[in-house]
Amino acid sequence: MAHLRSHGADWIGLAAAVVIAIGVRSGSRGGPLALEHADVRHVLLAPVDRTTAMRGPALRQVRFLVFAGSIVGAIAGVLATHRLPGQGAAWAACGALFGATTVALAYGAALTASGLRLRSWMGTLLALVLVAWAVADAANAAEGSPTTVLGRLALWPLHFEVIGLAGIVLAVALCATGWLLVGNVSVEAAERRSTLVGQLRFAATLQDIRTVLVLRRQLAMELPRVRPWVRVRVRGTDRFPVWTRGVRSLLRWPAARASRLVLLGVVAGLALRGAWAGTTPLVVVAGVALFIAGLDAVEPLAQEIDHPTRRNSVPLDAGYVELRHVPAAVATMVPVCVAGAAAAVLAGPSTAAVAIAGACIVPAALGAVAGALVSVIAGAPTQTGGGDAWSLLPPEVAGMRVVYRAGWPPALAVIGSLPVLAARTAARNGVGAPPAALAAGAGVVVVFVIVCGWVRTRDRIHEWWRAQMEMAGRG
Amino acid sequence: MAEPLLVIDGAAKSYGDLVALEPLDLKVKVGERVALVGHNGSGKSTMLRLVAGMLELTEGTITIGGDPAGTAEARAKTSYVPDDPVLYDDLSVREHLAYVAGLHGVDASVEDFDELLDRLGLLHRADDLPARFSRGLRQKTSIALGVVRPFELLLVDEPFVGLDASGKAALVDLLDELHGMQVTTIVATHDPVYVERVSRCIALRDGAVIHDGTATPDDVIRLVGA
Repeated sequence: MAHLRSHGADWIGLAAAVVIAIGVRSGSRGGPLALEHADVRHVLLAPVDRTTAMRGPALRQVRFLVFAGSIVGAIAGVLATHRLPGQGAAWAACGALFGATTVALAYGAALTASGLRLRSWMGTLLALVLVAWAVADAANAAEGSPTTVLGRLALWPLHFEVIGLAGIVLAVALCATGWLLVGNVSVEAAERRSTLVGQLRFAATLQDIRTVLVLRRQLAMELPRVRPWVRVRVRGTDRFPVWTRGVRSLLRWPAARASRLVLLGVVAGLALRGAWAGTTPLVVVAGVALFIAGLDAVEPLAQEIDHPTRRNSVPLDAGYVELRHVPAAVATMVPVCVAGAAAAVLAGPSTAAVAIAGACIVPAALGAVAGALVSVIAGAPTQTGGGDAWSLLPPEVAGMRVVYRAGWPPALAVIGSLPVLAARTAARNGVGAPPAALAAGAGVVVVFVIVCGWVRTRDRIHEWWRAQMEMAGRG
Repeated sequence: MAEPLLVIDGAAKSYGDLVALEPLDLKVKVGERVALVGHNGSGKSTMLRLVAGMLELTEGTITIGGDPAGTAEARAKTSYVPDDPVLYDDLSVREHLAYVAGLHGVDASVEDFDELLDRLGLLHRADDLPARFSRGLRQKTSIALGVVRPFELLLVDEPFVGLDASGKAALVDLLDELHGMQVTTIVATHDPVYVERVSRCIALRDGAVIHDGTATPDDVIRLVGA
């Protein structure tokens, strides 16, 4: 309880900082409003006051978001009553106030950034500073993070501090500023968002992760570098074309993507450190973070899937080409997992931690790549399973299949993180933890090899399956 | 008498009750140069995509050098340049060529790539990302990728759309040269001028062949209804 009183506001402030940072970044890229394409073409290009035209959509959006934020905050407050002293109603009310204030701050920051035409890099820098300051404050490395006042607001049932009101005042001020500047939106950004956001929502509805990823990159203007970080000169036909193609793709990664992968690696590492300390569900957090990183790592392969015309023009099995993309993906994920291992070790340095982290690097990388491979190659789950035979299944079975298709890829990445739990169990039983992690890692390698086998032979498997179904149909 | 390279036997394509291509019988000989004309939606692209193995036949068969369309053997003989250029986002023009040539086992030097790019007026953009090019430049990149690999049958869908005058001339020269090398080409086009250069013009209307033989630009305008 003493720790919560002294540091709780800092950690809650960190969560608020992340939400506000997302708002600032969205605003610097033309958000948060996503108008209809026709509205952009007809309303924004018409000789009417844009501020008046934009206030209606902005009001509707902020109203919904603040309501959603207050509900989430209230639920968190109710959950807090199970562990913390104080009245349930007070925790729920303060949670709702905190949620609404944080969302209003994020929305106001986004509207203001958009109205001021804040450059994308400036938005990113501002967001990074905000989050880094909050992290440093939470880690006692710095003081005075502005988002800590929001944490104090959330903890009012424990200890009332007037400074918490500053967050509310700031949220109102930012929303008012954004309200005044809302008409200064960039038409170019509004048009880009109007097209992409609609597609993004549709793809998300269909659980089409690859499309969501591609559209999100377009929305964030995250494009491959025209000049690669290191130029690998073309000297003629590539001897190992698929591997070289993967390396060339990697060398054109924008800095934002590389930074994101390192950040995801660090999140996974810290989550696994938490799992080692006893919070087992954090393995899922680590697995999901590595899965998301893996989706970026398999980008060259995903491009093959995105361009079937080009892939099918090659007189080779699709699986043959796709399998050869795997080494580049693994080579990308290993450094990401090394960053995660470093973060985990730094969170509690010891020789044993170094050994265990080292043993977990390769399995984690292989699990992430395996999950991403399955996700990208299998594509989005469809209601009918993508084939007539599957459409004959009863809804209960078809529903289970959709859940399986959506859940299996991240589950593979979680499997890659399990050696940490094996090491923890061994340590608790007085057995050497690193050998246990290595043994569990061997199991992950087996899973990875099976996935690679599926990548190579799935077309033949599908062909065999189709033939069997046709035979059954004739019978 | 040259052997037929492409044999289309009763090939048809429909989507439900929408007929994209009526049952079609056609033979194209080795080294023959064919122009495929027709108004929008007449079935030109459908026919090329069926031959390339991109679409599945509703009925009939298509063979290239005796191998069914879409098989690895047929794909090795067929180069298809689609009307909508298909390019990777993260490779430069030269890197595209090196990758595609590598996948097809072609032993080519960077000088070979540069010579091809120079012919198409693309050499000055060789290190740029074609995915961000204008339509015409992407079309030129797509054509370069189509001819950098080995093939016996070249299928080109609307290649002149978006090309400037010099690009158009370079492409026509390239097609002339391929014809001299006994390569079989089928070019779907709206360009009546190109039809003058070919020995055979096949006109489609509503998915059916309405003309198969020589044709003048005036014939094309009459057949297509332009």
